[in-house]
Parts: sequence; structure tokens; C-alpha cells
Amino acid sequence: MAQYTGFAPAMVLFGLFFAAPMALIVAYSFWTQNGYQVVSQWTTANYQQVFSTSVYVNTFLTTLWMTAAATAVTLAVAFPFAYWLARYVSRRWQRPLLFLVILPFWVSYLLRVTSWVIVLGNHGALSRLLGLVGLSTPSWLLYDRPAVIFVLVYLYFPFAALTLFAALERFDWRQLHAAMDLGATQARAFRQVMLPQIKPGITTAVIFVFIPILGEYLTPELVGGTRGVMIGNLVDNFFQEAQYAEGAAIAILIAAVVVVLLVIFRKSLEVRGEMYGG
Amino acid sequence: MAAESASIEIASGRARLARGGLVGWAVLIYVFLFSPIVLLILLSFNKNRYGTFPITGWTLHWFTTIANSPDLQSAIKTSLRVALEVTLISAVVGTSAAFTLVRSRLRFRTAFRIAFTLPIMIPGVLIGVSLLSFLRQGLGLQLSTTTVVIGQSVYTTPFVLLIVASRLEGFDRSLERAASDLGANALRRFRHVILPLIGPAVFAGALFAFTLSLDEFVITFFIIGAQITLPIYIYTQIKFGITPSINAVATLLIVISLGITALGLVIPRILRTMIRRVRGRRAQQLQAVSPAASEPA
Repeated sequence: MAQYTGFAPAMVLFGLFFAAPMALIVAYSFWTQNGYQVVSQWTTANYQQVFSTSVYVNTFLTTLWMTAAATAVTLAVAFPFAYWLARYVSRRWQRPLLFLVILPFWVSYLLRVTSWVIVLGNHGALSRLLGLVGLSTPSWLLYDRPAVIFVLVYLYFPFAALTLFAALERFDWRQLHAAMDLGATQARAFRQVMLPQIKPGITTAVIFVFIPILGEYLTPELVGGTRGVMIGNLVDNFFQEAQYAEGAAIAILIAAVVVVLLVIFRKSLEVRGEMYGG
Repeated sequence: MAAESASIEIASGRARLARGGLVGWAVLIYVFLFSPIVLLILLSFNKNRYGTFPITGWTLHWFTTIANSPDLQSAIKTSLRVALEVTLISAVVGTSAAFTLVRSRLRFRTAFRIAFTLPIMIPGVLIGVSLLSFLRQGLGLQLSTTTVVIGQSVYTTPFVLLIVASRLEGFDRSLERAASDLGANALRRFRHVILPLIGPAVFAGALFAFTLSLDEFVITFFIIGAQITLPIYIYTQIKFGITPSINAVATLLIVISLGITALGLVIPRILRTMIRRVRGRRAQQLQAVSPAASEPA
């Protein structure tokens, strides 16, 4: 038992202020809202309410596809970059170039979103610049879903680039030549030789990008306008208005998707262990 | 490896074109990554009263407005105080948990590791709303800087834990056994063997926690009381529109965060060389006494 003493402070911190609040939220989602209070009467009314209100269902579905789209674009943008860095850049330059990718991480998350408000917002840098050449800004670039996806790609690009690079760095490029010497086309060599080996890296990148985007509320809040609302904003609204029970139900839906993803990807992480010989 | 594949591919023009395309793509990405931040900093020196283009001249005026705003100064002070407390908590809790995680041969080690790193994996909005409900409704507490310190610590501690644990894992335990064989008690072993080895990692973790706390918005937003931190102040301001003063504050926060990060990268390295030098000197002294007691660096 003595060997667990070092865990005591962590147990208090995480037990009391992470596990217990999460448990409470689960309970809230099944309890009854009474005015501004939640009383411990068990019910499934919150979930029924959420699933029968089309605005909520639509927001949830929209969030899922926006998250999927943002994840796909992020990976599509990051892959050629990671490929270039792993294959064509000399080892001496890889680290500094990678460091530059991570550097924006050290700028506050709020400010990274804000900086895009300055660019994309009303009277922002972009509309001024386009105005100078006599163009008006396309409306979807301001306060709409494409703007949200664009900023999300910006925010989560470093996650994807790092993970993909880590996977590609371990790949032995001579295998491609070997495959092509044996008569494979380049496309086939990529698909059948490279892809299976870097697949775990791609999966990890998807996880690292998809999960945090799913819970985003600041980006849609600042650049999304009314059409760009995501599920995180719904949760935010409910809790700001002290509608804890329904808010909790929606929060639990997000958590459920996260847990399902983690469970699915946990398996692919095990596969990775075998692939690299542990 | 890279050079070998390069020599083969340059032979074909198509491959060269593809490679040039990739370089162009990489350049675009760096521009994409840095342009909004650079723009934000540029605009904070812009004379234009609307905090946007065109640039009508350069001024430091917007930075002096920081000095004249009591709200802003109180927000900065609150942020620093919260960050210090969060740093202290996460350094102590994270380090002690990292020790137990790496050192003890306990069962469910992986389970503990996953449990302790879960706060990083879960979207911040979930931690925020669950803490809000728990602190307000569950415990009946008033929201204050204390609740913010608690909430941020939940998020920063796992990072310290991971940093210190990864250092401990590469730690040669025979050094400690040697110290023990030579008669050092637990306290002396900790002071003279363990601390010099993991000190830099704890320091790096603490600095990391400090920066994270200073920048933290997502969780803080839900559990902040009347006394607000700098990111929350910035947020409430930009909800009304961008002003040049906000650009100046943002620039200030960027400089502070990057400055601390630079320190975090440099100081552990300096500490390590210092420790190595001291140890080297000690080894020399030992060698002067008895040539057999040489110690590998």
C-alpha cells in the first residue's frame, strides 16, 4: 500500500475535480431540471428532449460532418508537408523545421483564433485587402461554416503534421524503390508498401485532430456566425442559462463519441505495437 | 537514406517537378502558420484607430493604454497569481505521481497512466461544464480564482506528469543503488542523486504548466468568478470588436508566452551542463584522492 502514497495528491486532484464532476454530469443528464436547479429524480426526459428537437439533432449532425471535414482537410494539408519533411529534408534541418511548426502552439489558443478574427472578421484585413482591388469578400469566408473549418485546420495542423511526420520518419524509402524494381507502379508501391506501414500514424493523427475539434466552441463562437454553430456552443449556452440537465445530456453525447473513438482506436494502437515489434 | 533516394529521383523530370511542388507547399504552410500572428503583432503598432488595415503609421501608443487601464492590469495580476499557484500544484502533484507511476511495480500501471492523462484527451468544454456543475451545485462554492486554479491544475498536471515520467524512465537506477551501497540515506539519495537528474525535467514541466495556465481559456471560461484572467479579459473585449489596445495586449501575451517557452528550452539545458560540470569537478577531486574511483559522466 505504501507504494501508492505518491498517488495520493493526484488521486485527490483527479478524483475530486475530474472524476467526480464527470460522474455528476452523467447523473445530471438523467436527473430532472427544476427551474435553475437539478433534482435527483431519475428520468430520460433530457435525452428525449434533445433527440426530439430538430435544431439540436441538426447541430449534432452538422458538428459531426464539420469535424470530419476539418479533420480530412487537416490531414490532406499536413500529409504532403510531413512527406516532404521526412523524405527530402536532411536530418539536420528536420528538427528546426519541425520546431517552427510547433511554435504557434506557444501562442495562446484564444489569440490564434482571435488573429483570424482580425483577418476574416467584419472590416478585417481580408475584406480591406479585397476592397482595395475592388472586390467584395465572399460571404462564406465570414461568419459561416467554411470559415470555421478553415480556422480549425489552422489550429490543428501542427497535431497532424507531427504525428504524420513521426510515422513517415520511420519508413524506409528504399522499400519503395524495391517495390518498383519488382515491377510495381509508383501508385501501387505507395498503396501496398508505404500505406500499410504508416496507417497507425494516420489513425493517431485522426484521433488527435478529430477529438478536440468535436468539443470546440470558441472557434465557431468567434468566426462561425449563426450558421457555424457547433455542439460545444449548445453545451455552452445551456450551462450559461443554468439548464444543467439538458446541457449535461448533450455533453454526454460528445463524451460518448469520444469514448467510442478511443475504444476503436485503442485496438489500432495495439496493432501498431505488433507492427513495430513492440 | 534521404540522399540516396534523392539521387535516384532527380534523374526523372517528373519527380523533380513533384519535389518542387512539395517545397512550394511547405513554404505556403509556413506562411499560413505565421501570417495571422505576425499580422496581429504588426497591427498592434499601427496608428489606425480601428485596429485593422490600412497601416497609417507606426506608434507605441496602444501599449501605453495598457498602463492606463486598471481592469487590464488587474487581469494581468490575476493571471500571474493563478499561473503561479497552478504551477506549484501541478509540479508537486505531477512529480509525485510520476515517481509512483515509474518506480513502483504496481498492478494496473497502464490503467493509472491512462486515467491520469485523460484530462488532456477529453475536450475542455466537458471539463469546464462538469467542474462548473460540481463546484457550484455539488459543493455549493462561489466561483473565484481558487476554482480557476483547481480547474487549470486538472489540465496542467498531466503534462508535468508525462514530462517527469519520461525523464524517470530513462533514469539509471544503479546510480541510486550505488549511492545506497555507499551509505547514503533516502534523503541524501534524493538530494544528491535523484534531484540533479530529474530537476531539469521538473523545471521544464513547471514552466510548461505556467505557460499553459497563462493561456488557458476553454476551462477557465466556465469557472471564472468576478475576478478575471487576461485571456478572459481579451475575450470579453473582442466580443465587442477588435481594438488596437487589444492587439497590443495580445502582442504582450504572445511575447510573454514565447519568452517563457524560450526559457523553458534553454534553462534545463544550462542546468544540465552545470550539473555535469559540478559532477565532473567532483570526479576529478575523487580521482586526485584515489585514481580507482573514477566516475563516468
